[in-house]
Amino acid sequence: MDSPAPTAQARRTPLVLAALTIIAILGFAGVSRLVTRLKANEKRIAFHAFEAGLAEFQAGHPERALDDFRAALSYDRDNPQYQLSLARALRDTGRLDESEAYLLHLWEGSPQDSTINLALARLAVRRHSVEDAIRHYHNAIYGVWSSEPDKNRRQSRIELIDFLLQGKGFPQAQAELIALTQVLPPDPAQQLAVADRFRQAQDLPDALARYQAVLKLDRKNASAFAGAGDVAFQLGRYRTAENDLRKAIELNPSDAESRRQLETASLVLATDPFLRRISDAERDRRIVSVFNQAGNRLKACARAIHVDLPSTASPGKATNANPMPSAGNDLPSLWTRWQAARPKLRKLSSPANADLPDVLMDLILQIEQQAAQQCGPPGGVDLALLLISRDREAVDE
Amino acid sequence: MSEAPAISSPPNAAVTSHERSTNALARRLARLTFQTNFEEERFFLILSIFIGVFSGLAVVCFRVAIDWSRIALMGALPHPHALRIIGAPTAVGLLVAVLVVHVFPQVRGSGVNQTKAALYVYNGYIPFKNAVGKFLCSALAIGSGQSLGPEDPSLQIGASLASALGRRLELSREKLRLLAPVGAAAGLAAAFNAPISAVLFVIEEVIGRWSAGILGSVVLSAISSVVVMRWFLGADAIFRVPVTAFVHPAELLAYAVLGLVGALAAVIFANAIGYFRPRLRVFPRWTHYLQPALAGFFIGLIGWLGAPQVMGAGYEFIDQAMHDQFAWKFLAILAGLKIIATTLSFVSGTPGGMFAPTLFVGAMLGGAVGGVERHFFPLLTVSTGTYALVGMGVLFAAFLRAPMTSVFMVLEVSGNYSIIVPVIVANTVAYVISRALQPVPIFDLLTRQDGLVLPSLEEQREEEILRVEDAMKPGTALILDASASLEEVAIRTRDLPDKIFLVRMSPAGWSSITRELLDRMMKEGKGALTLASVLPIRRLPYLYPDLPLDAALRYINQAELIPVVNRADLRELEGVVTRDDVLSRYQADAVDD
Repeated sequence: MDSPAPTAQARRTPLVLAALTIIAILGFAGVSRLVTRLKANEKRIAFHAFEAGLAEFQAGHPERALDDFRAALSYDRDNPQYQLSLARALRDTGRLDESEAYLLHLWEGSPQDSTINLALARLAVRRHSVEDAIRHYHNAIYGVWSSEPDKNRRQSRIELIDFLLQGKGFPQAQAELIALTQVLPPDPAQQLAVADRFRQAQDLPDALARYQAVLKLDRKNASAFAGAGDVAFQLGRYRTAENDLRKAIELNPSDAESRRQLETASLVLATDPFLRRISDAERDRRIVSVFNQAGNRLKACARAIHVDLPSTASPGKATNANPMPSAGNDLPSLWTRWQAARPKLRKLSSPANADLPDVLMDLILQIEQQAAQQCGPPGGVDLALLLISRDREAVDE
Repeated sequence: MSEAPAISSPPNAAVTSHERSTNALARRLARLTFQTNFEEERFFLILSIFIGVFSGLAVVCFRVAIDWSRIALMGALPHPHALRIIGAPTAVGLLVAVLVVHVFPQVRGSGVNQTKAALYVYNGYIPFKNAVGKFLCSALAIGSGQSLGPEDPSLQIGASLASALGRRLELSREKLRLLAPVGAAAGLAAAFNAPISAVLFVIEEVIGRWSAGILGSVVLSAISSVVVMRWFLGADAIFRVPVTAFVHPAELLAYAVLGLVGALAAVIFANAIGYFRPRLRVFPRWTHYLQPALAGFFIGLIGWLGAPQVMGAGYEFIDQAMHDQFAWKFLAILAGLKIIATTLSFVSGTPGGMFAPTLFVGAMLGGAVGGVERHFFPLLTVSTGTYALVGMGVLFAAFLRAPMTSVFMVLEVSGNYSIIVPVIVANTVAYVISRALQPVPIFDLLTRQDGLVLPSLEEQREEEILRVEDAMKPGTALILDASASLEEVAIRTRDLPDKIFLVRMSPAGWSSITRELLDRMMKEGKGALTLASVLPIRRLPYLYPDLPLDAALRYINQAELIPVVNRADLRELEGVVTRDDVLSRYQADAVDD
């Protein structure tokens, strides 16, 4: 078979292609060198601009930092640090949409980056967008941190908890707090901060447990004693409160709030006729005492608000009537009921009137509640009685 | 190894040695011819890749040069000193004017028209000097803050490189002519980091027609140049496009308004350039040294007075507009100032492109229109960034009059196909209104001002072409059947005035018989013969009604009567055309024009 004669062009083609390839390789090398130099120069300029911007930002001038960050990005547009800084500056100057655009762009590139997620979460906080904030905070907590991951995760969760507490999202905050306790180091300061947040989230048992955990680590922590005393007080555990508050005052005598609470707790303990481990005689004595206190409170309140009380109750009525008649709870009615009940005090120790202490205490507590409603919050023994009434209602519920 | 298929001849023992040698020579010639053509085609495709690579490298260098000159002339700080803002474009304008007047006279303007002229007028010849001049002058001008872009110069640099390479390799004239658009596509694709848009633009604006022969080369060069560009400068799109979405169909109305406003802005922009450019060029020659400098001075002044965003290509500010960083009033001001600045730069003869300014004006205008619409209709969910993005496409469609490129450009730049419907709506509105208000596209206007008339795809697309049906007459009253005898035919046609009759052949095809032939056959006593037996084997050509009338020109000298048949049934006659019909129709059309 005849073979075709190669044309001049066909002979030349491999040489031409080889020459073009060599030129292309040389061109690549040359351009590569050129671009490397340009990029190095641009990165240097960008870094200077970034540093200037950072200084402005840290000095509390995010508006001034914007131009520098933008300049930095114009020379090194892919630098995530510059983008993040610009986004933060934009956020702090209230340009939330623009900040979000930058952050979302960064987030698309690395959705697992916790720093970006944290910035997005803070942006969502500024927007009051609870769902987005929670989502991005969680992404930040469970994402990748380039340094100090444990510390940053804890910090992010604390930020989320504070955001939830601000918005009264107590159940969510409590859940986050419980998760946070799992990773807390044995550091009294951090444990104390968490305990305080448990208290703010109205999770009093966990708050008390956390304060107690702090006290195991630091027996001289006045704040922990004050916190534990306060929580125990709110829980109606006045004995514990009294102990903790006393220690808090010992360690920090200037703690006026604890002192006030201690006084109240001591009064509750000294007044409450239903306290366990007291004798019947003591109980009767306390009932008589608080009964008279309630009567005085009622009279003082009526006087203060210019309400006339009936002068005396009918003896016959008083003898036979129920000390808790179905009359209203206004001050005159309560006064009538109080006067009617007064003769019964003598029968407190009689086994035939086993329910009399409860009946009298109910009346006393109604008087205290009504007086508090009409004349404002009480102090001293009246406050103690009010707290006792609250605790009794909680038990009834 | 030969890739030509073997041409085999049937074995024939009777052939002589002379015949054998003649056959062998013919086969060999056929192989050589085939191989030469095939190798040239293949070589051209490979060469397209190299052109893409070289253009990509050149564009990367061009971008680097622009950045260097910008840093050197305007400084690296975000707020340059007033002296730099006004002084740099003025001084560089003077330098560029000297270079353009004395060294590189052909590098004025954008470069798109020069490339087109190379294809249609100069057989693909673009001096290499043009690439050098365009590179230097454009880099200096754009870097100094003249309101021009790097894309069109990149297009011309690519075309110049391709042309120089083709001449060096002594390619045929036909191939040499095709190389300019191949290089142009490569240059534009690298400059824009958008290969599809580059290919479409070159087809829409430079080549002016869809040609399968060159499409492969254009695509290859565009892709290879983009690969090179991304290798060095990264794969990121020019803009960081914010999250965009098309939520409700009612929002299309808002986009249509944007299309309307964009069209008006484009018409103003095009008219400003079209009005001032020829007037400034006829000024005395010494003023040509000052025109770019004056343009630079005024642009610097605009920058110094509070709108430095209009200086240079302005990509970073398009980016900022897309991210809602400017109030709508400022966006509107920027759009207007950019039109003024670009008009100044362009009509002064400063080398540089109009792509970037067009996108800038579009983005600012889009953002402004979006801002106004959102102010009055707060229920609109679309962000200003989305309007800015669509606005870029709108100006591209209305000003550069490349509707397909405009749509794909937005898609490539945004990487978001959910926005395609608003883009198409807005671009179509803008294109249609712009075309109605400004019949001659800007590039054609510039070419005509330069004394050239080059083909335009828009004109071809919009041209009303004559079709066969426009010249066709209804079918003749009588269609003869091929099985009929001459005697029957003679009887049937005796009283008819026609001199020629169509014959429907069996099973398919058409023929004709003249009365003269029929009469002669009858005189010769052949009346018993059928028409099929006396008519020539060769059938009449036939046409379809929707074919361009040009198609009929090929046949009007072959037959007196050409049947026009239905495409679904070739035996069904729709009409007939004759030479006189076709010529009369053309004459009538010429009179109408």
